[in-house]
Amino acid sequence: MSFSVGPRAADDSSARAKILTGTAVEAVSVLTGWGQGVRALPPHAARAAAGRAVIPLGRPALEGERFRRATRECLLGVAAVDALLRASGISREVVKGTSTALIYVTGGAYGAANRAWVVADTARPAQPDDRPGDKRRGAVAGTLHFPYTAPSVMSGEVAIEFGLTGPYGILIGGAAATIDGLWQATRLLESGRCERALVLAVETFEDCAELYARGRWLVGRPLVEAAVCALLVPGDLRTRYDAPRAPSALETRARTRAGETLACGPLIALALGREDGATGSIGVTGEWRGRRAGLYWH
Amino acid sequence: MPAVTRQRAEPVSLVAAGVVTPFGADLDAFWSGLITGSDGISMIERFPVDDLRVGRGGEIKKLRPLPGARRVGCRATQLLLAAAADLLARSPISAEPARVAVVLGTALGGVGELERALAPGGRPRHAVGALYDSPAHALARRLGARGPVLTVGAACAAGATALGHGADLLRADVVDVVIAGGYDALCRFVMRGFDALRSLTRERVRPFDRRRSGLLLGEAAALVMMTREGATRGPRLGRLLGHASASDGSHIAAPDANGRGLELAARSALEEAGLTSADVDFVSAHGTGTPLNDRIEAEVLRRLLGRRASEIPVNSIKASVGHTMGAAAALEAVMCLLAGREGIVPYTLGLEEPDPACELDHVIGSPRAARPRISLSTSLGFGGCNAALVLEAVAQ
Repeated sequence: MSFSVGPRAADDSSARAKILTGTAVEAVSVLTGWGQGVRALPPHAARAAAGRAVIPLGRPALEGERFRRATRECLLGVAAVDALLRASGISREVVKGTSTALIYVTGGAYGAANRAWVVADTARPAQPDDRPGDKRRGAVAGTLHFPYTAPSVMSGEVAIEFGLTGPYGILIGGAAATIDGLWQATRLLESGRCERALVLAVETFEDCAELYARGRWLVGRPLVEAAVCALLVPGDLRTRYDAPRAPSALETRARTRAGETLACGPLIALALGREDGATGSIGVTGEWRGRRAGLYWH
Repeated sequence: MPAVTRQRAEPVSLVAAGVVTPFGADLDAFWSGLITGSDGISMIERFPVDDLRVGRGGEIKKLRPLPGARRVGCRATQLLLAAAADLLARSPISAEPARVAVVLGTALGGVGELERALAPGGRPRHAVGALYDSPAHALARRLGARGPVLTVGAACAAGATALGHGADLLRADVVDVVIAGGYDALCRFVMRGFDALRSLTRERVRPFDRRRSGLLLGEAAALVMMTREGATRGPRLGRLLGHASASDGSHIAAPDANGRGLELAARSALEEAGLTSADVDFVSAHGTGTPLNDRIEAEVLRRLLGRRASEIPVNSIKASVGHTMGAAAALEAVMCLLAGREGIVPYTLGLEEPDPACELDHVIGSPRAARPRISLSTSLGFGGCNAALVLEAVAQ
């Protein structure tokens, strides 16, 4: 797995003690349908997709009884945070507790659970002409399934797994919402409401592929499933949050290489920028439903 | 540990509010319904419920047609537009479109549209409206707002967090006006869900009562217009002094057994406001009427308020209009401000025999003459979400 990790370790308090007026991006982990890390991204997603509408990301094989019932999107969120901590050499004990904020952003990762819950309501007995795995058989009518339709449960599973009991933010939307989420993370850090912030984005498309096909005015192609997490910490960089008219070079590059990843796009862009060696000033933008937002560390 | 210090937040003005609730299509109907002890719960008529254990809820029976409005199919958007009409009738927006933000909390977004899309004979194109942020964007388009449009998906605590995010946008001078609040519409999706969880009561909702046996859902939209302090002349409802959130990190659908997240959220909100629990005049509790929530919340409030727990009025309005999910916290924030303005605190409908395990100074049986200046409003939601608001009312 390749990661974009800053020059300072997260628990290096002596280095941080003198630079507490701003924020910094400490690390970014990237899991996509193309593979692990930004190095797995193809040069051109549309060409690499070769006509495939969705590039799926498998269900992470996480151990533990409580993961048995969790949805794929929950597990992807857990896997992205776990990957970030492992690659950064940050112990789970460091992030555990009230000092870590969790900002979760998704455009539609709740769609699979919502769809399954609705379909279960219209379920009918199996018919001879049903295809194997036909979703109309209503396998999710039980009490364990309904809570997973809530986006907050996805971040809730992450909070449970890592013992995160600090401030949270849960934003629904595409790439512009992730910029909003990153900005909120910087606000939480700058105001002293947390000591570190995880900004997590997860997108899944496979279970609702035919519905997304009806929204082609809204989403690009190919749809690439992803789970991406950035760690923000106090640092010496100020941020500017605005509404640029045009995409940044990183936004364009992330979209070209990764494809349509909705809320994950800006975090992939951050990882790409850091892969280039940018550990200081960096700017990312993101667009959703005609609104573009930008956040710049300088 | 890094040497970061928590800062007191700049207060934000809450200029006006607009709501649509089971009591009616505006703020006046909401307030009079609360004060007169009206019951907004009824049999649900808009979709089939006969196969469910419980088919009652706080359903809005009639929505006023909006003048000049193109027909809107999405129920959640209809509620938002109705609340916005009420809000704008009280206070028009006076800011550049790019300096107006919309920040809304919801538990369900436009999920009713997904039901329409997947129903036999349904049109898949409706599924785009099922994205949880669709209603917020529809409202922004209707308002002509071209600033940030945020949808907060923090389940039943989302309305509180939306107000907090809105305040942050103002404090950072990103925008000049924020239309913030929450909404949710009743649909089979959520009725089936809570029915399956056995969270719905077949009796009446009785928050903090020893006979309490569950909640009933409701639908509503509640919006407030927020500006920076001093940016608006004329009367206003009050101020948002503090907001905070905290995760439980313990269970996806039940509150933390000790209410640690809720307590942290409440203490942090007071800290952000530069206040302590000694300054609180009134508590609007989440008070769902479920055995677990109410006991845990009461324990948290007793710890928080200390010796004053027996003298600070506490209420819950969820028996009156149902648990309106994403709208609940925003609706309750508006109620706090109206209580301070009008000098009267609505009582907790359905609460007749307080549970000793929920001992607090509950407002029981009739409204209480009091003029709370500082209110604390608490909210919880799926995923271990906890949020709190500290509000200051402006006396009339």
